[in-house]
Amino acid sequence: MKNRILLILGLLVSVSMILSACGPAAPAEPVEVVVTQEVIVTEVVEVEREAFTTPHPILSDLKVRQALSYCTNKSDLLASVYPLTSEETRADLVMHTFIPRDHWAYAGDANVTIYAYDPDAGRALLDEAGWTLAEGATFRNNANGDELSLKFTTTSAAFRQTWAAIWEQQMADCGVRIVRLHAPASWWFGDTTGVARRDYELGAFAWVGQADPGGQTLYACDQIPFPNNGWEGQNAMGWCNEAASTNIKLANNTLVKDERIAAYAVTQAEFTKDIPSIPLFNRTETFAYNAGLSGIDPQPGEPYYTYNVSEWTLEGSDTIIMGFTQEPASLFTLVEDAFVAQLAYSLFRPNQSTGLNYDFQAQMVKQLPTIENGGTTNNDVEVAEGAKVVDANGEVVDLAPGVKVKNAAGEEVEFTGGTVVMKQLVSRFDLIDGLTWEDGTPVTEADLELGYKIACDPESGATSFITCDKTAAAEFSANGYVQTWLPGVQDPTYFLPVWPIYPAHQLGDVPAAQWATNPLVAESPLAYGPYKLVEWVKGEKMVFAANEFWPGGAPATPNIVIQIITPESQETLLLGGEIDILDSTSLVGLTETLVAAEGEGKIKTLVNPSATWEHIDISLFIR
Amino acid sequence: MTAYFIRRIFQMIVVLFISAIATYALLNLAPGGPLQGLRQIQQGGRFQITEDDIARIRAQFELDLSLQYRFTRWLVGWPTGPIVLGGTEYFSDVVVGCRKPVESEILNDEGQYETKVTGCKEVVYMKDLVGRRTSRGLLRGDFGLSWRLLRDRPVSDLIVSRLPKTIQLIGLSTLLSLLIGIPLGVYSAVRQYSKFDYFFTSLAFMGSAMPTFFFGIIMILLFSILPKDAGWPYVPAGLSESVRGYTIPLIGEVAAGSVKDRILHLVLPVAVLTLVQIAGWSRFVRASMLEVMRQDYVRTARAKGLSERVVILKHAFRNALIPFITIVVFTLPGLFSGAIITESIFAWPGMGRLYILALGDSDYPVAMAIFFILAVLTVIATLLRDVLYTMVDPRIRLS
Repeated sequence: MKNRILLILGLLVSVSMILSACGPAAPAEPVEVVVTQEVIVTEVVEVEREAFTTPHPILSDLKVRQALSYCTNKSDLLASVYPLTSEETRADLVMHTFIPRDHWAYAGDANVTIYAYDPDAGRALLDEAGWTLAEGATFRNNANGDELSLKFTTTSAAFRQTWAAIWEQQMADCGVRIVRLHAPASWWFGDTTGVARRDYELGAFAWVGQADPGGQTLYACDQIPFPNNGWEGQNAMGWCNEAASTNIKLANNTLVKDERIAAYAVTQAEFTKDIPSIPLFNRTETFAYNAGLSGIDPQPGEPYYTYNVSEWTLEGSDTIIMGFTQEPASLFTLVEDAFVAQLAYSLFRPNQSTGLNYDFQAQMVKQLPTIENGGTTNNDVEVAEGAKVVDANGEVVDLAPGVKVKNAAGEEVEFTGGTVVMKQLVSRFDLIDGLTWEDGTPVTEADLELGYKIACDPESGATSFITCDKTAAAEFSANGYVQTWLPGVQDPTYFLPVWPIYPAHQLGDVPAAQWATNPLVAESPLAYGPYKLVEWVKGEKMVFAANEFWPGGAPATPNIVIQIITPESQETLLLGGEIDILDSTSLVGLTETLVAAEGEGKIKTLVNPSATWEHIDISLFIR
Repeated sequence: MTAYFIRRIFQMIVVLFISAIATYALLNLAPGGPLQGLRQIQQGGRFQITEDDIARIRAQFELDLSLQYRFTRWLVGWPTGPIVLGGTEYFSDVVVGCRKPVESEILNDEGQYETKVTGCKEVVYMKDLVGRRTSRGLLRGDFGLSWRLLRDRPVSDLIVSRLPKTIQLIGLSTLLSLLIGIPLGVYSAVRQYSKFDYFFTSLAFMGSAMPTFFFGIIMILLFSILPKDAGWPYVPAGLSESVRGYTIPLIGEVAAGSVKDRILHLVLPVAVLTLVQIAGWSRFVRASMLEVMRQDYVRTARAKGLSERVVILKHAFRNALIPFITIVVFTLPGLFSGAIITESIFAWPGMGRLYILALGDSDYPVAMAIFFILAVLTVIATLLRDVLYTMVDPRIRLS
């Protein structure tokens, strides 16, 4: 007994010691802290000057990169991961540049270099580059006897393992040895590992295409991450092409769509000429649904395929059941950005704009206020020292001598005092008529103002406040608002609505800090859209019914239910009639079961190009 | 007896305390969490994350506090600020964490860059904890707020929403498998090497060897999808209840959410779990019975002229149950933890799925709550087992 008591006491003492050891350092004076930081930074700078300035001995050779492109059979890679898609569908999915081929910013096949599968051309280029294949050998060597061997890194996802195995074989057919490393996604996409630290030779992952193609952080020369710039930027390939860099910046800093299209075209032409990355293919978005369902019409570029949910009908049923393999954590979308939450939210509070076919359309506003249609003005304003502006790097700063800004002529100038004339965007957003909350209260100016107030209150739990920081003023009226941006904001998507709408008559007195935890916000928010949430059984289902106050008229189907399911059960539940729709968040692709069921007329399937596209980035420099 | 219970309860508290420390430490060492990927988001144009944003999010999830303070706040809801005695605040300036750590890139010996925390730009003092939200502590029944699955709302809400369905599923299947498995095991032992024994032994081996995943899919195909397509009576393929009413041949109309509907939805998952458990338990009972029936006291009972029924039920069966108790009591934690695979195949909204989702989504408050409750139930089951031993085996005394 005595021994046991001693043992327990000993354990407690040990635990206390461990806890003490885990404790924070003794309270440090701020001065000491700063000194420590300076010492470390000095150390890092010494190393960084040498990092990533040496061209890659193999991949810096354009001929090798071209050869890799010619040796890549993108259609076969697609067939490996989507074996049940038709050849025609696969042809539509192949990518040539960093912009999907049906996107408004795509340069067009005639304006870019297309590397159609041609292994002979690839082999010839490798020969020219000095990588020759000895008699009977499988892999090429150079004059020094070095083997043409490249390390290929990607995630361990089954999808990538599948197509990577085929690509490895394709490269072997051209005499290139690929050494595959399938790393955990947590490492590959980690904040301080993998891609973020340029830790690869050839690296595969996916980007998500958007209606606004962006790209400045990916392809501009000043966006190459180095240790000494804090790894800022996403141009991990280290690609610096002056023409491409200038044009990608222009594309992201002009408000004229035609100018943007032209600038993107130049960047794409240079991109396909230099090949810092091999674009492979769009993934697919697969939908499977009850054969009696009509009206569903997912479009590339618009992730929320519920944009026309009020038009959906199901033969012989007043209820449509959507199967979700992930349950929304909260319907307060300022803090919950999961796709499923946004999708559920769109049923009762539709997005104010859509991105069908990679373009923009008004949905809850009368029009998207562009400069062309007069909804937005881009005014010249005189700005004095001390005023808040957005500088040439896109940062919100107080205007002071030394700050670089873009003047009204679009030139980058250094502020030296006095005043400077800058551009300022002012947009007017008018809501559609008749918006009314599900309890019959009309949407008012107070609701719009509350949306702005909560979105910009750091206590709300929202992640980013950059839109608030870039806002000079927001003036609200009964049917809309006028958004005035800070001088210097020249965002190409300026015409997109920015503020949410919240019911002031219900939540006006709730402090922002309590919104995330308030059930009225997170679990049973009021609707102004075609449906209202009537019941949410956690872990099981969310039940929506038609909102009688929706100005668009009664939805074609009175009830929508989101049924929470599992990936393992999704197909049996669809075939068993327990759910009516499986979307691309659940379905990775077509399966034999689904194809067979479609053949029997039980269900329909739809395969669209996804906004997500696979590519292989090429590291042009070594550490 | 009293001394035994006091000693055991004290041991249980120590075990639970160590378990809580281990659970908390391990999950805090695991990668992921609310900050994962935030720095990548900040590269975007309209959606940028600043250093202040990261600091605010760290504070929101208490990640700016040192591990031991986070632990004690999770365990007992303390400290919540300086200690106030007689109007005077003590320990106000004690550093309890770091709001903005200094991270530096260091090139290590292997030529890899490593991000290391090398200092702190802005520390968190004890006085900064005043007014911060915190749980009342695990020991007071407050598991804190969910990070992900039920963002910013109580973990207990999540558990309460899933537990009844799990108890329903696991309780029913356990009960059925006991009611069926024990007699089968006894019968197989008594009729060793009979046709029934061979047949049932084969079935039991198949049941034990067949993965639940495969077994479940086969059951769905055979008893749901194929008969439905053929116009025969069928049972629903999954979920705990239907959203729409439906009609089943011979059974008739079934209203969504009715008792009939719920019972029909229980059939397949309960059948799968029951059959799998029967296979294991009946084999265990059979082996135990066979061993007991070879004992001298059974032979003596027979020699005394007792009927075979009495010999089997009173002398053999009771003794054969002693080792079986060890297995049965440990279904108690199972009642809480659920059946991960079965719940997944049948989309059953139970604890097993919650557990997997919590780990997958790095919702550590939820995962820690489940771990801790499982630890409590396991130590209770252990105590229960020891107590039950004394009841079925007179040779064992607690003292």
